[in-house]
Amino acid sequence: MKPVRLAASLGAAFVLSATVSTIALAQAPVCSAPVKVLAQPRDGLTLLEDSKAEFQKLSGASFQIDYLNENDRRAKSRADASTVGNYNVYYVDEANVALFASSKWIVPLTDYYPADYDYADFDPGRQKVATYDGKVWFAPLTGGGDLMVYRKDVLEAAGIQPPKTLDELIADVPKLTNPDKGMYGIALRGARGSGANVWRWMPFFKAYGGQWFDGDKPVFNSDAAVKATETYLKLFKDSAPGTQTGSWDESTGAFLSGQVAILVESTPLSGMSVDPKTSQVVGKVGFLPPPSPLTGGGYGHGLAIAAKANADDASKKCAGLFIAWATSKENEKRRLDAHQFGELNRTSILSSKEFADIYGADLGQALAETGKVTAVNFWQDPRWPDLGDRWGIILEELVTGTRTDIKGGLNELEAYANELVKK
Amino acid sequence: MARHSSLPVTFIVPTLAILLVLSMVPTLYAIVIALQNRELSSTAYSYVWFSNFYDLFFDRRFLNAVWVSVKWEIVTVVATMAVAIGLGVLMFEVASPRLRNIYCLLFIIPVLLPRVSAAFVWKFAYHPLYGIATYPYRLLTGGLIFDPLSKPATALFAVASVDVWQWGLFFAVIVLKLLETLPPQPIEAARLDHAKRWQIHAYVTLPMLKAPLISLMFVKMIESLRSFDLIYVMTRGGPGVATETLDMYAFSQGFIESGKVSYASAMAVLMMIATVITFTMLWKRVQA
Repeated sequence: MKPVRLAASLGAAFVLSATVSTIALAQAPVCSAPVKVLAQPRDGLTLLEDSKAEFQKLSGASFQIDYLNENDRRAKSRADASTVGNYNVYYVDEANVALFASSKWIVPLTDYYPADYDYADFDPGRQKVATYDGKVWFAPLTGGGDLMVYRKDVLEAAGIQPPKTLDELIADVPKLTNPDKGMYGIALRGARGSGANVWRWMPFFKAYGGQWFDGDKPVFNSDAAVKATETYLKLFKDSAPGTQTGSWDESTGAFLSGQVAILVESTPLSGMSVDPKTSQVVGKVGFLPPPSPLTGGGYGHGLAIAAKANADDASKKCAGLFIAWATSKENEKRRLDAHQFGELNRTSILSSKEFADIYGADLGQALAETGKVTAVNFWQDPRWPDLGDRWGIILEELVTGTRTDIKGGLNELEAYANELVKK
Repeated sequence: MARHSSLPVTFIVPTLAILLVLSMVPTLYAIVIALQNRELSSTAYSYVWFSNFYDLFFDRRFLNAVWVSVKWEIVTVVATMAVAIGLGVLMFEVASPRLRNIYCLLFIIPVLLPRVSAAFVWKFAYHPLYGIATYPYRLLTGGLIFDPLSKPATALFAVASVDVWQWGLFFAVIVLKLLETLPPQPIEAARLDHAKRWQIHAYVTLPMLKAPLISLMFVKMIESLRSFDLIYVMTRGGPGVATETLDMYAFSQGFIESGKVSYASAMAVLMMIATVITFTMLWKRVQA
């Protein structure tokens, strides 16, 4: 009996110690150091900072978010990722995810995204934007397409129906401009950048049948590009002051302060326009899909795991946990409760009763409709930011009158594109 | 014995060595990179020797940036010195000692502001609809819109005015203090000869201050070469490329648009060579 008892005791001790070790391992903090994040300002991220203690309890470490505006964030993250690698998590977007992924500055997200957090719950369009070369690279913080947001009172007073086609839009915008009353027909983006003026120009380019490349051959230098640019410049004559060298902030700011009649912009504007905290035009706004055949600019921004700062697997797991927690259903629910429309990305939230109660059926309907015309307008290639930014400068020159030759600008861009392709 | 002391060498050599390392290592590294074809998105590179420099001379944005930099340098240095001398003399002539102290305190505040903060403050001040700086125009013209930062003809001057606001006022304080240190006898002698106030300053005080004023001008010339932050915040080189200086374009090529760090380094090296040659020539001319 004694040997049996001894063996049983040893066995029990082994099982006990194994269980204790497993529990200890299970409770071992995932993160050993604070997670450093480089991002651009987002209400959702600001709200996230209120729940730091929750992440600390979950992971064993806190996090720190450094904010830079969009262009600066892109420049800084590119410099950081390719050199020192100070940040564990980068805020990336549709325009630079291909560059970051192909340069191996970020790692595939789903390898380190805990399954419990349900990545498949994200809006399918945003998942598509987050995917490059068959792999998922970021978890969405924002995204969507375009909506036409218009002032019902202003259009009604002018006896104009909301434009359903691009031709109607072009005809209506000058009629709605009345500088003496501080009202402008439209607001566009003039500031340089693949994500700024080029972003708003691309729906016109696509509407006129423009294409960027045919294989490796640039084909954008076409009648479609000339016509799109002419239309853009024509509409710019009725664009609100400050937008000639402005971007999203300036054009949406002009609309929300009541100076613009019609705006075709990214979907977060619609949520902002019905929020009394950000809008002076609450109750006066209508929503429709962009006038046909304008395509909506499909986009998505989100958080990705940096490769350089997370040299080992443990660091990558920590960064993955942070991203999963930051974009979790619980945190998205908090954003919905805070009426942060532009920060909602999960189908479970977008289709919830609470969402419909807050934003109404009209907006839900418009969002569903605009989803049908949302498209990827840019060249999905790591070289896109380079080419897009180059066109952004030429377009800014055209908008501000520093140059007037549209064809000359396109020829210059084509020469540059050929150089890029040669590399 | 003193002549053979090694004490000076003991103190000077380590300091000079540190300075040499701090200044030469980044400079040499920049020159080496300028001879390569490095890009941020790739670790592969090779030596292309002078190809980057050659390409620069056919790059319209580079040629534009050279011209904008020259304009920027002339406008900011001339305007700063004019404001400094004008205000300095005015305070010296008109203000009581107590009032001068108050002015000095007020005039020093702008330069104490971080450049980025100053740039943001003025960017809002120049807003066509809400800006305080554009308000008088709206008032006088019955609400017409003036957007100085989006007009190619006015953008450079609008940004330069912020630079002059910071440095011109600060230099005015220095000019005032320099005037106060001058011996009173030559000024009194000129007054006895019935010289007018402007004649006293044009022919007596300012010529006496020639050396410090030239030093101030050189300080401003060097400072004006480093206006990247101001331009970046206010216009990002726009509208179009109307305010794109060399440093702005180099940064843009290196980090914003293309990630072409070698190309950007080539610009930096050319800037360094041009600056050294220009400043040496100017310095020798002033000394002669």
